[in-house]
Amino acid sequence: MRYVRAEDRPPNGDTPPGRVDPAPMLGTWFATDKQALGVVKLELSDRDGAFVVRAFGAATPEPLDWGEVPAIAYAKSVVSAEGMAVSATYDFGFAESLLAAYTKGGILVLDTFNTFKDGSGRSAYFSREFFHR
Amino acid sequence: MNSRLSDRAADHVAPIDPAPLLGDWINYDAGSRNIASLTIAQDAEALVLRITGWGEATASPFALTTAGGEALAFRAAYDFGFANIAILAYLNKRLLVVDAYTTFNDDSGRSSYFVRDHFYLR
Repeated sequence: MRYVRAEDRPPNGDTPPGRVDPAPMLGTWFATDKQALGVVKLELSDRDGAFVVRAFGAATPEPLDWGEVPAIAYAKSVVSAEGMAVSATYDFGFAESLLAAYTKGGILVLDTFNTFKDGSGRSAYFSREFFHR
Repeated sequence: MNSRLSDRAADHVAPIDPAPLLGDWINYDAGSRNIASLTIAQDAEALVLRITGWGEATASPFALTTAGGEALAFRAAYDFGFANIAILAYLNKRLLVVDAYTTFNDDSGRSSYFVRDHFYLR
């Protein structure tokens, strides 16, 4: 079994589960900041065994529905099956956003890494936002 | 075009200054089973992440807004064949918070996993 740090190795000969279950993260998550300028809502769902994310961006008069994209569920170790983090990528054509989030104590913490591809000159930017169910 | 309000263009845009990210960063947790230390350097036009034993990866810097200016985050990716690791990091005051999102491509059955470490500038 190949590895690049100790964390990659199953401890004590434990057997890896083979799959991360996203169930603990599923549901609708709302931004704790009602004046948020970034992502205002996240829907994490299981579509016939496929883990997907649907995000909504702050806009007026209504949030922008970004649609569903495939997501990856992460556990806290190589031998845990319990999902506690997620990543997904949106390609809007004019921009790309990497969404990466983890859950802790009933809160979901979302980081976004945003890059523009439209020649508008806008700087790539990072955001950090908090969500509750 | 915008995907959210924070995408709106600023009146003035400055190039991203990677200076706050540059240097040798040491993990506060000497017993970490993840990354012990890392270096972020400016190499010609590119920002480079170096992790001992992993080699180099191009790092992309991010500012706080579309106006640019000082970098406060970066992302990079390592492809080891049997595993892919996304390194996503941001500065919180003078603390570098580094998240590693790992997925395995081999038949080991290992779970994709998330791990976080905190680093200080040497």
